[in-house]
Amino acid sequence: MFLRILRHEWSTLRADATLWVVAGVFAVAIGYGVWNGVRWVEFQTRALAGAAAEEQERYDGLRQRVDDIVKTGGQVSPFADPRSPSNVGGRLGPRYAMLPPGPLAPLAIGQSDLLPYYFRISTDSRENILAATEIENPQRLLVGRFDLAFVVIFLYPLLILAVTYNMLSAEKEQGTLALVLSQPVALRTIVTGKITLRAMVLVGTVLVCSGVALALGGVDLASPGIGLRLLLWAGAVAVYGAFWFSLAALVASFGRGSATSATILASAWLVLVVMLPSLFNLAVTTIYPVPSRVEMVQAMREASDDASAEGSKLLASYYEDHPELATGDAEQAMTDFNMIRVAVNDDVERRVRPVVARYEQQIVAQQAAIDGLRFLSPAVLMQEALNDLAGTGTARHRHFVAQVDRFHAEWRGYFTPLIFQRAQVTSFDDVPRFAFEEEATGAIARRVGVSLAGLALPAALMGLFGVSRLRRYPVVG
Amino acid sequence: MLEATNLTKHYNGVTALDSLTLTVEPGEVFCLLGANGAGKTTTINLFLNFIAPTSGTAAINGIDVVQQPLETKKYVAYIPETVMLYRNLTGLENLEYFAALAGRPDYTRDQLLGFFQEVGLAGDAADRRVGTYSKGMRQKVGIAIAIAKGARSLLLDEPTSGLDPKASNEFSDLLKRMSDSGVAVLMATHDLFRAKESGTRVGIMKHGTLVAVHGTDEFGHADLERLYLQYMHD
Repeated sequence: MFLRILRHEWSTLRADATLWVVAGVFAVAIGYGVWNGVRWVEFQTRALAGAAAEEQERYDGLRQRVDDIVKTGGQVSPFADPRSPSNVGGRLGPRYAMLPPGPLAPLAIGQSDLLPYYFRISTDSRENILAATEIENPQRLLVGRFDLAFVVIFLYPLLILAVTYNMLSAEKEQGTLALVLSQPVALRTIVTGKITLRAMVLVGTVLVCSGVALALGGVDLASPGIGLRLLLWAGAVAVYGAFWFSLAALVASFGRGSATSATILASAWLVLVVMLPSLFNLAVTTIYPVPSRVEMVQAMREASDDASAEGSKLLASYYEDHPELATGDAEQAMTDFNMIRVAVNDDVERRVRPVVARYEQQIVAQQAAIDGLRFLSPAVLMQEALNDLAGTGTARHRHFVAQVDRFHAEWRGYFTPLIFQRAQVTSFDDVPRFAFEEEATGAIARRVGVSLAGLALPAALMGLFGVSRLRRYPVVG
Repeated sequence: MLEATNLTKHYNGVTALDSLTLTVEPGEVFCLLGANGAGKTTTINLFLNFIAPTSGTAAINGIDVVQQPLETKKYVAYIPETVMLYRNLTGLENLEYFAALAGRPDYTRDQLLGFFQEVGLAGDAADRRVGTYSKGMRQKVGIAIAIAKGARSLLLDEPTSGLDPKASNEFSDLLKRMSDSGVAVLMATHDLFRAKESGTRVGIMKHGTLVAVHGTDEFGHADLERLYLQYMHD
């Protein structure tokens, strides 16, 4: 019986122009979204490859110059010496700390076009490298780019509503419902059949198109945890769809006319998908404002000026903090420009820290507020889940920045002793390199799982309530 | 067999049907007459469980329609004023779907075409989209669905209103054939002529109450009209 209803729904839906218009719009939107995603990942990949090539070329040049100096035995200015740890660690030999595109990046650009995905690591102060590019990045909740995630979050519900808003009211208005319900079949069986077929068509389309996106976008299907990510992506699309189908079923169960149902559903979409996310955005940035970029730059500038003016004094206190770096010749050490610079950078970092801390604290507070508020809007839940799965969300970026911080410390840990020992860089191969470690898939799965539960619960409640209301559906009148 | 026992329906304090007690035996054609709003359609909707009774019971084949709605609908067929079908599907596809819903998904194409012939629909109509059908053709599809279902009771709500006399006559013939085969028929109608022609009993309703029941063999056409108008005056 159920299969027969599915087959019937397919024949009537197929004969209706709405499905084909909806399918056409959907196919074009998905195609365009996927194309955008693939293009953005290609752009990122090219940029990273360019940076890697630049670094390689620079290091080849350094090696060449060292060879030349050794061969000719010629003199070289201390400021241009490619063997000086201060030069290599600072101006000449920075290496890039790069965040590769997320495992499913072509599917959701997410925040990856807002957040920096590579840093040039040197002995410079952390804030010069990191925070200056990061500060006051809007924590955008609205999707900026037209990618597959945008299509899924914004258009997919609209299309679901377009094919379901009148699934019962149209039959009632056309008069077929009475004839159907004079047969030994429950209204809930009919509604379940209608929704199942529509869900198969729409969810199927999104999943197939995601698959095409992955194939075109050159996603490495062998990378660890990719199977789980894909499974969760499919689950997210299905659960998000279920939310909207349940909402449509609930509204249908009230037995209002097609026009009323359409108005109610369109308003729900507008509030849940468009208005709430921007309201949340406004709320968190108002309640937890981040310090302005101007303030940050000003703080850095003042700190730099103050620190530079106190150069040797700072070096003295630096020695107090790091006695292990002290060498025999204290007099000469106190006038060494490179050592002073290490101490100055260290001091700048210390002075700017309160501003940075305030910024980071606000960002954490914003994120925490969003983490709570997201349960009020399926669109925000879905956005966070898809970004997480694609590897283009804020969590993976924070994970990256933490690694960059560690790498920066490692970098200075390598060069500072060399500077204080007035040693030379003997082998460029020993200069630390950055390698990004992907987040544990288990942690992502847990976060996404919570979001999906946040979608599934209201979907189930609306669905059950709607189905139970169908018992009292006004077939006539 | 259709049975109503003290069947009552109030809408927001207005009595649409008041203590209707009525039995339609197999082979009987019971015609409900009455003005608009007399409670004829309410009676039929109560038998179909489309609305819930305020009190009393409606039963089909001795089974209460509120307690076992799906079971009772196995035995009853419904033909509204206009049989509304899926306009984008062919007549045959509609018949096949409704037969399947009725619990008969096993008919072959030939069998389904046989039902079309039985109700006098031309062979080429079966494969035409229902959107192109006339009202008379739709009503015949309604009968074909009832036959395919093997329904033992038939509920009709002004099925011949708006039909031309020939179509109306053909429809009545079909009804007669069904009742001859032992189907219990309850029909709401305004058509006194049809009621006298194809009915075995007529019941006159007024303001939700069944005020009179007569056998159609008790009087001629003119008598029925006079009787009807007599009840309508007051």
